[in-house]
Amino acid sequence: MKILIVEDDEFIAEALTIVLTNQRYAVEVATDGQAGWELVEVFPYDLIMLDVTLPKLDGISLCRRLRSRGHQMPVLLLTGHDSAHDKAIGLDAGADDYLVKPFDEEELVARVRALLRRGSSASAMPVLAWGSLQLDPSACEVTYQGQILRLTPKEYALLELFLRNSRRVFSCGMILEHLWSYGETPSEEAVRTQIKGLRQKLKAAGAATDLIETVYGIGYRLKPLEAMTTPVASPGTSVQTQQQTMEALAGVWERFQPRVSQQVEILSQAATALSQRTLTQELWVSAEQEAHTLAGSLGTFGCAKGSDLARQIEHLLQAEQLGQDEAIHLAELVQALRQQTELPSLSTQPALPQNERPLLLIVASDRELAEPLVVEADSQGLRAEVVSSLVAASTVYRSHPAAVLVDLDTTSTDSFSLLAELRKPTPPVPALVLAADDSLKNRLEVARLGGRIFLQKPVPPAQVLEAVQQVLQQVDPAEARVMVVDDDPQLLVTLRRLLEPWGLRVTTLNDPRRFWETLEAASPDLLILDIKMPYLSGVDLCQIVRNDLRWSGLPVVFLTALTDATTVNQVFTAGADDFVSKPIVGPELVTRIINRLERIKLLHHLTEIDPLTRVFNRQKSTQDLDKFLSLARHHSQPLSLAVLDLDHLKQVNDCYGHAAGDGVLRQLGQLLWQSFQGDVVARWGGEEFVVGMYGMTKSDGVQRLVKVLETLNHGDVVALSTPDASCEFSQLQVTFSAGVAQYPEDGTDLRSLYRSADAALDQAKSAGRNRASTDLSVRVLPAGLLKPQLSPTKG
Amino acid sequence: MTKRILVIDNEPYIQEVAQICLRTVAGWQVVTAGSGPDGLLKAAAEQPDAILLDVMMPDMDGPTTFENLQASTATRHIPVIFLTAKVQACDLRRYTNLGIKAAIAKPFSPLDLANQVSVILGWNLK
Repeated sequence: MKILIVEDDEFIAEALTIVLTNQRYAVEVATDGQAGWELVEVFPYDLIMLDVTLPKLDGISLCRRLRSRGHQMPVLLLTGHDSAHDKAIGLDAGADDYLVKPFDEEELVARVRALLRRGSSASAMPVLAWGSLQLDPSACEVTYQGQILRLTPKEYALLELFLRNSRRVFSCGMILEHLWSYGETPSEEAVRTQIKGLRQKLKAAGAATDLIETVYGIGYRLKPLEAMTTPVASPGTSVQTQQQTMEALAGVWERFQPRVSQQVEILSQAATALSQRTLTQELWVSAEQEAHTLAGSLGTFGCAKGSDLARQIEHLLQAEQLGQDEAIHLAELVQALRQQTELPSLSTQPALPQNERPLLLIVASDRELAEPLVVEADSQGLRAEVVSSLVAASTVYRSHPAAVLVDLDTTSTDSFSLLAELRKPTPPVPALVLAADDSLKNRLEVARLGGRIFLQKPVPPAQVLEAVQQVLQQVDPAEARVMVVDDDPQLLVTLRRLLEPWGLRVTTLNDPRRFWETLEAASPDLLILDIKMPYLSGVDLCQIVRNDLRWSGLPVVFLTALTDATTVNQVFTAGADDFVSKPIVGPELVTRIINRLERIKLLHHLTEIDPLTRVFNRQKSTQDLDKFLSLARHHSQPLSLAVLDLDHLKQVNDCYGHAAGDGVLRQLGQLLWQSFQGDVVARWGGEEFVVGMYGMTKSDGVQRLVKVLETLNHGDVVALSTPDASCEFSQLQVTFSAGVAQYPEDGTDLRSLYRSADAALDQAKSAGRNRASTDLSVRVLPAGLLKPQLSPTKG
Repeated sequence: MTKRILVIDNEPYIQEVAQICLRTVAGWQVVTAGSGPDGLLKAAAEQPDAILLDVMMPDMDGPTTFENLQASTATRHIPVIFLTAKVQACDLRRYTNLGIKAAIAKPFSPLDLANQVSVILGWNLK
């Protein structure tokens, strides 16, 4: 969604830009009416915000001109006067809505959203769905099978573009035009990077990697649904149901094949008539309609190719005029369609394509080294592809490997730049490195570039693949955890067998007396309880859980043979969310559990994520940190809490604008998120971030943070392109300062830990000011290192 | 309670396919209508839990049918999902009335249709 702001007051324009950019709109600003008009003539906008009093051409006149030249996009007038007369003039001139300055941010956003919905643009849909993929424009939220995807604003905009034009192929140029403002001049590479990032996130969520399909030589599009092989069948659809459905569909297909043939026949008649120049308007229209129907239906019967052909025919018939070239093309398409629809039956069980297996990309010029690895990979269910390092980077972009194995010896300088390349996407592609020289220098360089594992040659292929598998498992996002308490061991085994294939991690417990410790250790996302158990009943356990603040939100599902009204009532009074009766019906239980988990995730997400940086907010992270603390206490493990402040945020804001400041915050958030997977990463407000690391001492924590600082130092994390002329910081290095405190040494609860870490942060800040910025070690300090003498510069 | 879905589509085999998908996979009851006017009558009489509405139909198209559904107090409350082969700007321009829940692209995936509907409407698939 692209918005043009025509406003001569720089301050207001800036404020609007920030607000709207945060809402993921692409925003452009013109400072007078004439400039606004010139932009509108050249670029497509979805909405225009127009100040009434403008130099050169005033807002009302511009609005009239827009309407008189047929521009239909919604126009929102901004004015300082709140008079009925002014409003009437504005609305008469063709404006859609009116906003009086100073405006309320929330109201502004709501009005923009409402206008976009009802306006000329394609936003009439509250939710856009594509298979299991859903995009909710009102919440700026994308889910796949209920699982939230964390997208960057550009990835989000890209996905929205595809979903709103689901049949269209977009070239890189077209995508640039839709998603980037004219002030930014990215290359097509930027588009490819976004596509790649998006694909990886979709893949991480369980979608097929080619959901966004490359149309060679043209661009990208959403892969037609029917052509997608869903890696996991829809929850709740048992194999048996699937077969039943497919059989029933085959029956329908047989019965309606004559109807389909008839439709194809009409297309054929139209093709013939066109080539003989006798095509009537009537036949033309009905052919277009039949093509439309076929396009929308053949895919459902498993004939994706047919849908595609019909769509091409429909598209062809939509032209204003049809000549002999079209006649020939149409005849060919109809012929191809006929062949497709005359196939005896539809394919019921599409075979899993080759590319469903994870790809290991081996970068090596040494065939003798590579070939045994390919064989070994194949035997372990991986696909392996061998490339020389020169072309490796482009292969990475094309084929999305799950991991990359780099032979450092064959081409070492290239290998390092490849490693750097691999860590650019989010999440980074995991890299393993093989080298004969395991000198510290080499190892350090590899580690600095994000190489996960360093293997010294010679090493047997089996061992290499073992390391690869290990890396692949680490990449797998943590699955939902389910804990089951039942005194019947047989049932526990059954449940485990039922649930684990769905990617759920199952913890079972048959002695309710060990409930609490197991709960804390397993930290489940959902709890399944039997009602009748010795010592403690399920109802008792449920009540205990509900009374503890940390667990009060945990979904609880009861499992029982008792279904009388009293029991049911008792269970729900105790705080149960759902009820499944024994004997267990597999698909029913799985569906209920998965639905419950998905819903919980959806609901939680909105209240737990900091909208700017996409890391957890304070409320959510406090809960998680408390859980960590309680675990640490129980298992006598260390826990480190780091408090970080982004340096110079105010200067960035002053020199480059708040949007740039937001960008820096967002990127730091993302970097922390990537660097501390499995830990708690949160933004607690302003420029302050918090990282909680379970099982880590403060020296571990300091080390890891210094590494992140190094990444910041080496990467061009933020493109600060247009500094203010008066800006002193023409070359600003983005850094942070941090303090790290450890449980139990520096504090036994969150509050005292925070205080210790914050004091260390203050020391780090004042130390950082007095040292060269290259000395990173002073920017991250452990608590209690120096005497607790607070820095005089703070406060 | 078993959910009841009204499918409005002028193409008989689409009606039937949708019926099979929703009934077999989700166990829902499905009522079908072959045109906009037929759909309006059935929506009012059957009071379904949701309506799947084809966009392109002769005589009364999907958006017009939707407007009529919204205009009547008997059917205004029923959530409507469009079934459409096109999710394109030029078509959506006509949907000035807000309130459809979502659009599902045609051709839909038969095994996933019920799942999509329940995700959109926040139903638990039984």
